[in-house]
Amino acid sequence: MNQQDQNNKIQRRQFLQTMGIAAAGLAFTPLRSQADSETLGFDNGTRELIAYPQKRPLMLVTARPPHLETPFAAFKEGVLTPNDAFFVRYHLPNFPLSIDADQHRLNVTGLVNKPLSLSLKELKGLGNPVEVIAVNQCAGNSRGFAAPRVFGAQLGNGSMGNARWTGIPLKTVLEQAGVKAGAKQVTVRGLDHPVLPATPEFVKALDIDLALSGEPLIAWAMNGKDLPFLNGYPIKLIVPGYFGTYWIKHLSEIEVIDHSFEGFFMKNAYQVPDNDCLCVIAGVAPEKTRSITQLKIRSFITNLSEGQTVPLENTVALQGIAFDSGKGISTVEFSDDGGRQWQATSLGEDLGKYSFREWRATWKPQSKGKVALQVRARNRAGEEQPATNMWNPGGYARNTIETLAVIVV
Amino acid sequence: MKHSNLIQTAGMIALCLLATPSSSEPLTIKLPSETIKLRPPNAPGYALALQKCSICHSADYIEYQPPGMTEAQWVAEVGKMQKAYGAPITDDEVKLIGAYLADSYSGKPAVITALQPNTPSVVPATATAPIADVKTLLTQNACLSCHAIDQKLVGPSYRDIASRHKNDAKALDKLAEFIGKGGSGRWGNSPMPPFPALKPEELKSLAGFVMGQK
Repeated sequence: MNQQDQNNKIQRRQFLQTMGIAAAGLAFTPLRSQADSETLGFDNGTRELIAYPQKRPLMLVTARPPHLETPFAAFKEGVLTPNDAFFVRYHLPNFPLSIDADQHRLNVTGLVNKPLSLSLKELKGLGNPVEVIAVNQCAGNSRGFAAPRVFGAQLGNGSMGNARWTGIPLKTVLEQAGVKAGAKQVTVRGLDHPVLPATPEFVKALDIDLALSGEPLIAWAMNGKDLPFLNGYPIKLIVPGYFGTYWIKHLSEIEVIDHSFEGFFMKNAYQVPDNDCLCVIAGVAPEKTRSITQLKIRSFITNLSEGQTVPLENTVALQGIAFDSGKGISTVEFSDDGGRQWQATSLGEDLGKYSFREWRATWKPQSKGKVALQVRARNRAGEEQPATNMWNPGGYARNTIETLAVIVV
Repeated sequence: MKHSNLIQTAGMIALCLLATPSSSEPLTIKLPSETIKLRPPNAPGYALALQKCSICHSADYIEYQPPGMTEAQWVAEVGKMQKAYGAPITDDEVKLIGAYLADSYSGKPAVITALQPNTPSVVPATATAPIADVKTLLTQNACLSCHAIDQKLVGPSYRDIASRHKNDAKALDKLAEFIGKGGSGRWGNSPMPPFPALKPEELKSLAGFVMGQK
């Protein structure tokens, strides 16, 4: 550590020590845990744990714009990720820090019979609220494990979460406006904007069939409570089975268009190799790319942590989660011998095809020393996780079989 | 564990507040301050990085990138900031900033010279250049990306600044210092990056230009 680093650290400690708790009115003042950090399993992987408004201490990926990752231990608390532990990711730093839900409007424009400007109350009045339990996963979740490493937010496995979302289907809103013939896509955006006029606005697009499928939801509640501010208060677009990049926070604009949207965050950013695995040989540029869309199948052990010791003489309870894009998890298996043999697990309650699916198993360690536990899932469409390194230049959609080493003593 | 209890208690307070909002009150948050600073200068691009990168993002974006990236990779990444995200930097500046980032963040041991904490002895890239006029300064430093004469953009309008300081005899000196050192909190949360490469005369003429907006 050099002089400047030391100096920064000392300043930071002093700052932390002078921070107190203050919450006046509805203003949430951030808290800081003292010199707490968590280290991820790749080089330069230590992250400060800092409590943002309405959040417990989360791993700070970036402060401006805010990007916070859930410490992985939170996933053993239950199949629904608590609101205060749910990850946060903004693309652009220029967003309001105060939002009056009564003043917020959702505008629906473009190729519609009747443009709308809906208040939250009007939105809620369009029909009975609908609930879905669905996984929101950042496209770059697990990017830090890419080999070779790639630029971008260096994320562990905690940029995902599973919640019960309550809202009105996007379809209901579009029907209220009346989609005209020739509609091809809807673009969606929220209250976050760039600092510089030259920076592209964060706008995403959904094909009209998906938008009208009844599955995407405009949600105001998350696990039965108002959305946390940093997760998109007062309304957020939920696109079950799709990566989080489509789940627009502070949703404010929907435009129906008659062409394929060419904006930066659809056509330039969030590009993956145009093939089934979304992967290429490590280090090689893909010949053709496309926008990332649906989640890839994944599974994790959640009740053990890397390097934990377990006794040889006992059986060890294993527990975890699996998810995919909504085809439905059919089996989860684990291995303690490098993937030669796989042992069955029991799946937990089915909370819907877009939810985390819990699994449990019992493991009897056979010998002392370091044992690499692996877990893999398969879905009803026969999709499995790849056993080998899954790589693309953006570090997107990683779903390689996870390995977690424990020490048997 | 004392601390996590504290956090949990605070979390409950926050939840209570959240559960009973009167429907007409906005939900307001305050974001924590940035904690990571750019690493000290191994290369001349430091001053530029300080000015330009921090317009749009905090230094942790850079701090947490993987070690071992090559200079060509860093230059390409800065090029992406210029071309894809519209960062106000020239092609030459892309190379300078890229070289500084490669030098400071690729795992080379830091060069510890007689560096004073928080007063980096920057050798600005433009050290031998003549003193620029105000218009050139405004353009080169992308001041007008964040400020306008008569309306608030990211930062306050020059008129508002002039108006706030109009009765202050030391306004010129103060403004020159603010521009040089940067900061946040005087006009809201968005930080103003420091401009350590600007000469005292240049800072003064910029301050004079701002105070002249009435």
